Amino acid sequence: MNIILLLIPLSIVLLVAGVAALFWAIDHAQFDDLETPGLMPLTDDRREPPP
Amino acid sequence: MTRCFHCGEAIPEGVAIFATVAGADEPVCCPGCKAAADWIAGLGLDGYYRMRSEPSLRPPESVDFSAWDRPALRRLHVREHARDRAEIVFLVEGLRCAACGWLIEQTLGRVPGVREVAVNAPARRVRLEFDPTTVSLAALMQRLAQVGYMPQPLDAGALDSARTREDRDALKRLIVAGLGAMQAMMYAVALYAGSFDGIEPATRDFFRWLGFLVATPVVLYSARPFFAGAWRALKARHVSMDTPVALAIALIYAASLVETFLHGSDIYFDSVSMFVFFLLGARYVEMRARHRTGDLVDALARLQPSTAERLTESGSESVGVHELECGDRVRVAAGAAIPADGVLVSGACSVDESLLTGESVPVRRNRGDAVIAGSIALEGPVEIRVERVGADTVLADIVRMVTRAATGKPALVCEADLRARRFVLRVLALTLVTALGWAYFDPSRAFAAALSVLVVSCPCAFALAVPTALTRAVAVLARRGVLVVDGDALDRIARADYFVFDKTGTLTRPEIAPAESLVHRGDAADALAIAAALEQGSSHPLAVALREAAGAARLPFVANRRNVEGAGVSGRVHGRNYRLGNAAFVTGGDARLDLVLADEDGIVAEFAVRERPRAGAARALAALRADGVGVGVLSGDRADRVDAIARELDTSVLGSGATAAAKVARLEALRSQGHFVAMVGDGVNDAPVLAAADVAIALTSGAAIAQAASGLVLAAERLDELARVRIVARRMHTVLSQNLNWALGYNLAAVPLAALGLVPPWLAAIGMSASSLVVVLNSLRIGATRAETRREQPAARLAGVPA
Repeated sequence: MNIILLLIPLSIVLLVAGVAALFWAIDHAQFDDLETPGLMPLTDDRREPPP
Repeated sequence: MTRCFHCGEAIPEGVAIFATVAGADEPVCCPGCKAAADWIAGLGLDGYYRMRSEPSLRPPESVDFSAWDRPALRRLHVREHARDRAEIVFLVEGLRCAACGWLIEQTLGRVPGVREVAVNAPARRVRLEFDPTTVSLAALMQRLAQVGYMPQPLDAGALDSARTREDRDALKRLIVAGLGAMQAMMYAVALYAGSFDGIEPATRDFFRWLGFLVATPVVLYSARPFFAGAWRALKARHVSMDTPVALAIALIYAASLVETFLHGSDIYFDSVSMFVFFLLGARYVEMRARHRTGDLVDALARLQPSTAERLTESGSESVGVHELECGDRVRVAAGAAIPADGVLVSGACSVDESLLTGESVPVRRNRGDAVIAGSIALEGPVEIRVERVGADTVLADIVRMVTRAATGKPALVCEADLRARRFVLRVLALTLVTALGWAYFDPSRAFAAALSVLVVSCPCAFALAVPTALTRAVAVLARRGVLVVDGDALDRIARADYFVFDKTGTLTRPEIAPAESLVHRGDAADALAIAAALEQGSSHPLAVALREAAGAARLPFVANRRNVEGAGVSGRVHGRNYRLGNAAFVTGGDARLDLVLADEDGIVAEFAVRERPRAGAARALAALRADGVGVGVLSGDRADRVDAIARELDTSVLGSGATAAAKVARLEALRSQGHFVAMVGDGVNDAPVLAAADVAIALTSGAAIAQAASGLVLAAERLDELARVRIVARRMHTVLSQNLNWALGYNLAAVPLAALGLVPPWLAAIGMSASSLVVVLNSLRIGATRAETRREQPAARLAGVPA
């Protein structure tokens, strides 16, 4: 039974990591527009590097 | 028929303009489209044509953007962060798909001085960060217009950062609550199993502290909006819906914590997390719906132009609309929108007020008549003396009405709130009585019994009963193109037992009848093609009907096209001057039919216009009648025409030739007979009629004002959805009362048992969770049966419409 003392804290660490990742994604506009970015890979972006 | 590579419009015969895109010559319809296509290809952006899902807008002819740089306009729309860093958010007309967003980002992003471009395609908004010392706003807008997009300024106050932040916060809270609730329930399962099979006190306490660990962020972070709402209500000295919720969350959480410390019998961290998660889920759906209605308000606000041409002693100047003052004289070009409410000071002109009033026929205005902001001057230029500006205009009133409808709380929800609030006050009193009672008889059981009462009777079933059913119904309808402006309308449409329809524009649309038309000279198809070519580019219903009648025929090229006096159009085709319009305009009143085409030598053809029932109208009426609902037509049109349509659709006539007042009287009569009346219509004459009905349904192709007076907005070509709307509404009604009855019955059964100490708190917690789950699952049944969701075959395309 003592294995739960290791596994449960581990699951909580994973949970926190998951929440942190989702927060990061939400803050970086990953969920604001779910349509436009899907087309991006289809283009050849020929934008020159900024001077 | 060849279509323009850029805008998708039919290319008139005799036009041979080509744009070079990706090494191939593509046909385009006009020099503007050629310029746009060449420009896009020249920048290496031709990928846009492969990605787009909608054709582009025809690029506007030269537009003067200099007013965007005037200080008065910039103060309102531009947020200056530093001397060389400014930010503006604007709406873009013609932003139709994700590819447009990409094109705009690429086009503006290449201009020196632009720091950042962010396009939100669903909201049609662009956020632009630029360096005002390097590049002027007008130049940027000019660049945007060049590729075919019309920018419209938004108020700086409407910068959507507030909305984005609200969206993101809600999503975060929901995620934390969801994951927290799942974890808490898993630990609770171990505890429940333990309480049956036996568990070591140390292990039990370990799981309890784990539950505390995951429930704490849920209560302290996710549930913060409830606490904030309750606190606001408390400061204003009244009780809101948030009060019982916040109270319950806080009490359950605190009690569980105390129990954990005291090694007491039971804890409820799982119940409290689940409760928060369910409530936040309902709120999230509701917020998304609210933001969608916000877009409708934006669309209305866009009607008013952002700039105006003010007349001064020395000439004229282009100014921002916000700079206009009462008494100013402005000039409005033909086809441009009128910037403010005012009085016509130049000669007579026709005005298209369709966007504001739904009246598709242009209105004749004489010198001294009032004109309203947002309507379009069809001839010009005209001069207008400004009478009312900004927030005083009719347009601003309409926007306010729609905003209020979109943000107001439905009476249905208010009523449920009130009920839940009373219920909570009673439960709190009962908890106190229970605690005191047990303290007198058996103090050791007082806390457990009081807690059982509080938990078992948790108001969540009541709190969730109405909002979940309502939001589910709204979401189901939104997927079918029906916009619910006012939540109460759903409740009322379920009770409606008589549907009254307006005729013109609602049940019917105009159509050219080639068989009944008279051709005096030449070939019928040629005459139709010439007429359609003359009307090309117009959105008037008759023009659309003409183009449909012409079908796939090649349209000749029209030179010198002029809209004359709102009565018709003239232009030069094949070297001859043609006129198209009503008899009075074309020949001076000497024709038999409604729409006449003539050249220099007299009448060429007369077209018969007849009304044709809209696709789906017959099905909608039949479905309503099959449900046992009364159906009737009430129209301002001539009796014989109304009768003909009523016969065709197999329905009864409630009145014809009726004025708005007569229509209202007819509705009142129906209501006094005990009918609950729903009115379906559009158009200016309908607005008071729509307001007089018990529930009003407006069609989207119609008027903004009609929408404001109505609770439901329906896409006109989806008229057959009407019966389904009623089915969903009735279903919502049923589910709602089931929910409320369930919540009441459950509480009546469980609370007395808990108060007598017969329900151990763990059972109470399961009961509470189960009772709210039952409510949520029951609400999800709305829209789950075939009759509510089945998509019928699209109506057969009308004859003559090119595929």
